[in-house]
Amino acid sequence: MMLPFERSRLTVWLVIAAACALPLLVGGGYALQVANIALLNAIVVLGLNFITGWTGQVNFGQAAFYGLGAYTTAIALKFGVPWLATPILAAAAVMLAGLVLGVPTLRLRSYYLAMTTIGFGEIVRLVIVHWEPVTGGTSGLRNIPGVGIAGFELSGAIQHYFLLVATLSLAALAAHRLRHSAIGRAMIATRDSEIAAELSGIDTVRTKLTAFMIGAVYAGVAGCLYASSIHFISPDSFTGTQAVLLMTMLIMGGMGSIAGSILGAVSLTILPELLRFLGQWYLVLYGLGVIAMIVFAPGGMATIIASLRDRALRAERGS
Amino acid sequence: MGQLIVNGLALGSIYALVALGLMLIFNTVQIVNFAQGQLLMIGAFIGISASLQHDLPIEAAWLATILAMGLLGLVFMAIVYLPLRGKAPFLVILTTIAMGIVLENLALIIWGPLPVSLPSPVRGPPLRAAGLIVSMHQLFIFGTLAVILVAQYLFLTRTRFGIMMQATAQDMNMARLVGIRVNRTVCVAFALGAILSGIAGLLVAPIFLAEPTMGGSLGLKGFVVSVIGGFGSLPGAVIGALILGLIETFGARYISSNFRDAYAFIIMIGVLTVWPRGIMGEKSSERV
Repeated sequence: MMLPFERSRLTVWLVIAAACALPLLVGGGYALQVANIALLNAIVVLGLNFITGWTGQVNFGQAAFYGLGAYTTAIALKFGVPWLATPILAAAAVMLAGLVLGVPTLRLRSYYLAMTTIGFGEIVRLVIVHWEPVTGGTSGLRNIPGVGIAGFELSGAIQHYFLLVATLSLAALAAHRLRHSAIGRAMIATRDSEIAAELSGIDTVRTKLTAFMIGAVYAGVAGCLYASSIHFISPDSFTGTQAVLLMTMLIMGGMGSIAGSILGAVSLTILPELLRFLGQWYLVLYGLGVIAMIVFAPGGMATIIASLRDRALRAERGS
Repeated sequence: MGQLIVNGLALGSIYALVALGLMLIFNTVQIVNFAQGQLLMIGAFIGISASLQHDLPIEAAWLATILAMGLLGLVFMAIVYLPLRGKAPFLVILTTIAMGIVLENLALIIWGPLPVSLPSPVRGPPLRAAGLIVSMHQLFIFGTLAVILVAQYLFLTRTRFGIMMQATAQDMNMARLVGIRVNRTVCVAFALGAILSGIAGLLVAPIFLAEPTMGGSLGLKGFVVSVIGGFGSLPGAVIGALILGLIETFGARYISSNFRDAYAFIIMIGVLTVWPRGIMGEKSSERV
C-alpha cells in the first residue's frame, strides 16, 4: 500500500515522463508549437496563482507582464545582448513595472484593483503598438533568435520544448516550496481574512506585493522564453483578452492548486485548436463555460478530480 | 477650442450615461458590472435592427430597444448574479466579464463585424453660434443626460422604492428583515441598469457607429468615471465623466491621439493612489 504523498510523487514523475514522450507522438510541426505555447502559458498561470489563487487578489495585468518580458528579451537580443542575460533583464523589467503598479494599487478593494490592472495592461499594450521604431508596432518583431548559451544554441521547436518542460517543472517545484514556507502561509492567511491576518502580525500589503512580484517574475521569464522559442511576438498575444484568458485558465484549472493551474493552462491552450470548427461560437461557449464552472464548481478541475479520487479511495477501502 | 469643448462634453455625456447604469446596479447589489459596455453595444444593435431591418420609425425602435434591454437585464441577472449571491465579489467580476465575452461574440455572429450607423431621433440643421457648431443630436444627448440624471436622483432619494434599493445595498439581510422584497429591488436595479446602457448605445450609434467590439472601452470608461466621482455620488460621476470627455478630446488634439484611451486609466490610477476609495468616497464599506 502506497502512502498518499508517494502516490502523488509518482504521479508527478509519470506526468513529466509523459510530457517528455510527447514529441515522439506528435513529431515537430504545428502541434509541438501549440504544446510550447501551452507550457509557456502554464508558467504564467502558475505565477498568477500566487497573487490570485493564494493571496486572493484580482490581477488582469499578468498578460502585460508576459508581454513586457517578451519584448524586453526581443529588443535586448536585437541589440546584441547575449541570451543568458535576457531572463535577468526580463525579470528586472517586470519587477520594476510590478513595483510601479503594485505599490499604489494593492491596498485597493477588488473592483478598483481589477480596473487598475486592466488599465495597466491597456497602457502597456498602447505603448507597444505605438512605439513602432523599437517594438515594430502592430506587426510585431520577427526572426527572434533562439536560446543560446556560450556558443551552444538550441534549434527547432523540439529542443525548446524540452527546455520548457524543464522550466515548468522547476517553476512548479518552486511554487510548491514557496506555498509551504512562511510567505506561502502568509498569503493564504491574507486571502482568508485580511483583518485576521493583520491581527496575527502579518503585513498584508507586503505579502500581497511579494505574491504579485513573484507572479510578475514568472510571467516575465515565460515572456523571455516565449520570444526565444516562438521567434515571433506581436501585441495581439498580450492583450486584455489574453489577461482574461489567463485568469480563466486559473479558474478552470483550480485556484490555489499547482496541478490545477498547469492543467487549466494546457487544456485551454489546446481546446481552441481542437474546436476550431466552431468558429465564433467557440468564444460564446467559452464564456458560458466559465460562468458554469464558477457557479457549479468554483474549485475548478482540480477539485473535481480530487473528489473523484476520494471517491475511488473510499471505494477501495470500503470494499 | 470652443468646438473641442462641445465635442468633449458630448463624449463625456455618453460616459456619464454608462456610469449612471453601473452605479444603479452597484448601489443596490454592490456588484460592479464589467459587461455594462457590452450591454450598451447590444442596445445599439437592437435599435439598428429595429429601425433599419424592420423599418420601424426611430421612436418605435427606441421603445423596442428599451423593452428588450429591460428583459435582457433580468436574464443577465439570472445568469451572472443570482447563483453567486453572497459569494466573493471577485467571482461576480469574472462572471460579468465572461458574460461580456458571450454578448460580444453573439453580436459578431448575429450582426457581423462591420460598423453600422443608426439615425438620430432628432433632425434639423445644427445650431451655429459664436463660431461653434452644435448638432441637434449633441443637444439631444445633453438633454437626455440631464433628464436621466434628475430622474434617477429623485427616484433614489425621494421615492419609497428608491430608498428600498439603497437599503438593499447597505445590508441585504437587514433589508429583508424589515420587509423589503429584496428580489424585487435587485430585479429592478438590473433591468434599469441595462436600460440605461441601452439608451447610451442608442445615443452613441448615430455619432460613432456601432460595432460588436465597441463595448469594452466604453464600459471601462464608465467605470473609470464612477471611480473618479466616487461610487456613491451621481453628480460626482457625471462631473467626472464630463471632465474625462474634455481631457480625451483635448489630449487627442494637443498631446497624442494614439494614447487617447490611456488617459482615462492614467487618471484613474492617479486618483486611486491619492484617494483609495474614490474622491467622494463610498457609502458603504467592506465589513469584518
